[in-house]
Amino acid sequence: MKVGLFIPCYVNAIFPEVGVASYKLLDSLGVEVDYPLDQTCCGQPMANAGFEDEALPLAQQFEKLFDKYEYIVAPSASCAVFVKENYPKILGKEQHLCQTSGKIYDICEFLHDVLKVDKLPGKFPHKVSVHNSCHGVRELHLSSASELMEPRYSKIKDLLAKVEGVTVLEPEKVDECCGFGGMFSIEEPAVSVCMGQDKVHNHINTGAEYITGADSSCLMHMQGVVNREKLPIKFIHVIQILAAGL
Amino acid sequence: MSSKNDILNNVRRHINDKYDMPDLDNIAAIQYPDKLEKFMQMCKAVGGDARLLVPGEDVNEVIKSLYPEAKVIASNLPEVSIATVNPDNVDDPHDLNGTDLGIIKGELGVAENACVWVPQNVRQKVVYFISEYLVILLDKNEIVNNMHEAYNKLEFNDYGFGIFISGPSKTADIEQSLVVGAHGAKGVMVLLR
Amino acid sequence: MSTKHAEAATRFISNKKEESWHNETLWMVRAKRDNMAKDVPEWEQLRELSSQIKMHTISHLDKYAEQFAAAAEANGVIVHWAKDDKEHNEIVYKILSDHNAKKLVKSKSMLTEECHLNPYLEQRGIDVVESDLGERILQLDNQPPSHIVMPAIHMTRQEVGKLFEVKLGTEKGNSDPTYLTRAARQHLRNEFMTADVGMTGCNFGVAETGDVVVCTNEGNADMGTSLPKVHIVSMGLEKLIPNHKALSVYSRLLARSATGQPVTSYMSHFRKPREGCEMHIVIVDNGRSEILGNREHIQTLKCIRCGACMNTCPVYRRSGGYSYTYFIPGPIGINLGMLKNPKEYSDNVSACSLCYSCNNVCPAKIDLADQIYRWRQGLDSLGKADKMKKMMSGGMKFLFTHPSLYKTALSMAPIVNSMPRFMIYNGLNDWGKGRELPKFAKESFTSMWKKGKVQKKK
Repeated sequence: MKVGLFIPCYVNAIFPEVGVASYKLLDSLGVEVDYPLDQTCCGQPMANAGFEDEALPLAQQFEKLFDKYEYIVAPSASCAVFVKENYPKILGKEQHLCQTSGKIYDICEFLHDVLKVDKLPGKFPHKVSVHNSCHGVRELHLSSASELMEPRYSKIKDLLAKVEGVTVLEPEKVDECCGFGGMFSIEEPAVSVCMGQDKVHNHINTGAEYITGADSSCLMHMQGVVNREKLPIKFIHVIQILAAGL
Repeated sequence: MSSKNDILNNVRRHINDKYDMPDLDNIAAIQYPDKLEKFMQMCKAVGGDARLLVPGEDVNEVIKSLYPEAKVIASNLPEVSIATVNPDNVDDPHDLNGTDLGIIKGELGVAENACVWVPQNVRQKVVYFISEYLVILLDKNEIVNNMHEAYNKLEFNDYGFGIFISGPSKTADIEQSLVVGAHGAKGVMVLLR
Repeated sequence: MSTKHAEAATRFISNKKEESWHNETLWMVRAKRDNMAKDVPEWEQLRELSSQIKMHTISHLDKYAEQFAAAAEANGVIVHWAKDDKEHNEIVYKILSDHNAKKLVKSKSMLTEECHLNPYLEQRGIDVVESDLGERILQLDNQPPSHIVMPAIHMTRQEVGKLFEVKLGTEKGNSDPTYLTRAARQHLRNEFMTADVGMTGCNFGVAETGDVVVCTNEGNADMGTSLPKVHIVSMGLEKLIPNHKALSVYSRLLARSATGQPVTSYMSHFRKPREGCEMHIVIVDNGRSEILGNREHIQTLKCIRCGACMNTCPVYRRSGGYSYTYFIPGPIGINLGMLKNPKEYSDNVSACSLCYSCNNVCPAKIDLADQIYRWRQGLDSLGKADKMKKMMSGGMKFLFTHPSLYKTALSMAPIVNSMPRFMIYNGLNDWGKGRELPKFAKESFTSMWKKGKVQKKK
């Protein structure tokens, strides 16, 4: 099984340790991982801001780089779902049939649905509050959405349950938006910050030591709030917990 | 009628894709093991009340004991002897202002939400709304599970008006604080017999 | 850089106490909605059916409109057709003049709000009385609604108390909701008693039977139509549904979605005029037929005006109804405003973090968030795109389409970490309002991979 690893731009620059953990975990599970060096960004920031056309060359570049892999795996639910849901439309405008959208997975989804991981080696003796990101929940269906009357599930919690010692908590308003929203965060700074503060407080109120989740962008936003207000909680991408001890 | 034609032509011109009507005959809608019990429980949940009359109990006696202070009582039901005014004999509905208690008949109760179907069965329907308190008499065998069953069963008559009433009039328009008795009845009691 | 919505939201949030109350109160309504929906095992099936019924109805709207009008006329109702707001108002005024009416008592109708009916009639000497408590409060205070179902949700009880002191002569300093509601009951009872004409909106128009269905909790629509001799219904074209079977679906969704009640206290079916009275229905287009031709936004016509999208919207809850420039706020209002006039109402398109919660609560499964995403794509061609965002997007595209440049940027990025604080957190940095910037890693993932630091040594 050959997997192309997609490390979104901000993970690359700000959270490279998330990329490292992704590699280590996949490798430990016997997956052959390749990292095409010319990758950059999926184009979501521009598209969500209203400049989907700017994402077209990025989609074309992405197709060229990743088409050769059986699976494409990214440690970011939001970026993965952008490729999955939006690339076919964006490339369709150029009469190009998108090849990568059917092959891309968020890493949690990949571990849970494709590799069907049943045990993980590490220990993480800490209390964590799971951040259920909007795109992870409502677009990628990593967990059941609080609005929908469907059986409750959470792929992230399923995976965390396989790590020894971890106590998994969830905040009140379990999947309310943290207020990042890409350029929303700078176009509507007051609302965005207010949402971030509320979200962080809900996480802190669980008594957790860490906020964890599948989307580094949300974690980055909340971390900005926490650092400004010097609040007592730390951040860790869920994949770093799953790869603990590797 | 040119506006009618203009609008309809505009509608026709703009319709693109046509969609089919879904099948509404096979909705696996909620059922309750005890419809009557659920109905009575829901009557309370929506701020009203319900009472099951025991055989031999007199409706008039029960109502009198429930509303001892009611002076102006409006009803056109033959079995209600305590009525002081018959809304069928009132020409101007405004004359019913000041009614303390209205006693009316419902045809159908809905377990899921305490709705009682009341097809207009009195000349001045304002009695349903203008009375300070309302008593609805209902056959306990006429309870259905849900609104699908209700709409399949309900009937209109020549008055051409029908209403589902579920509990008293209420509002939460001031700070979402619930207040019973906005414009209509301040209390609704369903008497099942 | 910021939109009118963002500016107004900033002002709303600056009163933290009020913002927090608004946020939590509407969240409570959302939570009540969840509780109600949870008790209906077939909830998701109902939402799907509701969506399909509406798509079917609006794609056969000519047929259903004609069927409805014919049925209503056969029931003795007088049916009018209004192409736009102007014609709607003229028709209503004509009916009032024909009856020499001086006082019109209304129940809640967003359509008459859309048509600006009240000022139109007031200018012509009609005494227009809103009878829904929230609407009446706002009318007395000369304000528009800030929510389509809970119109006065932004006001405190103290504010209402003060207003009633002045307008209704209530006790000084008494702001008890029960006391104030009782005072309004008495005041409006007098209005009902002296009204010449009653007007209602319409939640559903049933094509097969001609029924106009109106849902209220207060009973005001019924008080207003059981006393005067004339009843006028103002109904948007999209309110049509085929039959009672379809109505049964909506009767289960509307109140549960709107306020978290199993049903409204009153669900009235007006089929014929009262004995010796008149009933008029004004069917209004006002741009609706054109939306039918708009594949990207046609789904807005499925809306049943429950307001659930507002209650769940994290942006609406924290910015209040008045932060939007269109009279309907929240996710549905963003879309309806853009359909009304994209140049005028584009300021609301920023009010969305694309969290998609609205799509999930909508009882008609309208693709609200997807539509907002699509509107954003069109802003640039309207000349309404934010210049800063445009520049940033262009810059990002340039950087991201040049992998070698991107790699250089990645290696330079950590320099930002050591920039003096005043350079980073100056007034121009919107991120810096309330958040610290993330720290760039000493070495990017790409660089580590290139140097073989990530891969397992073979």
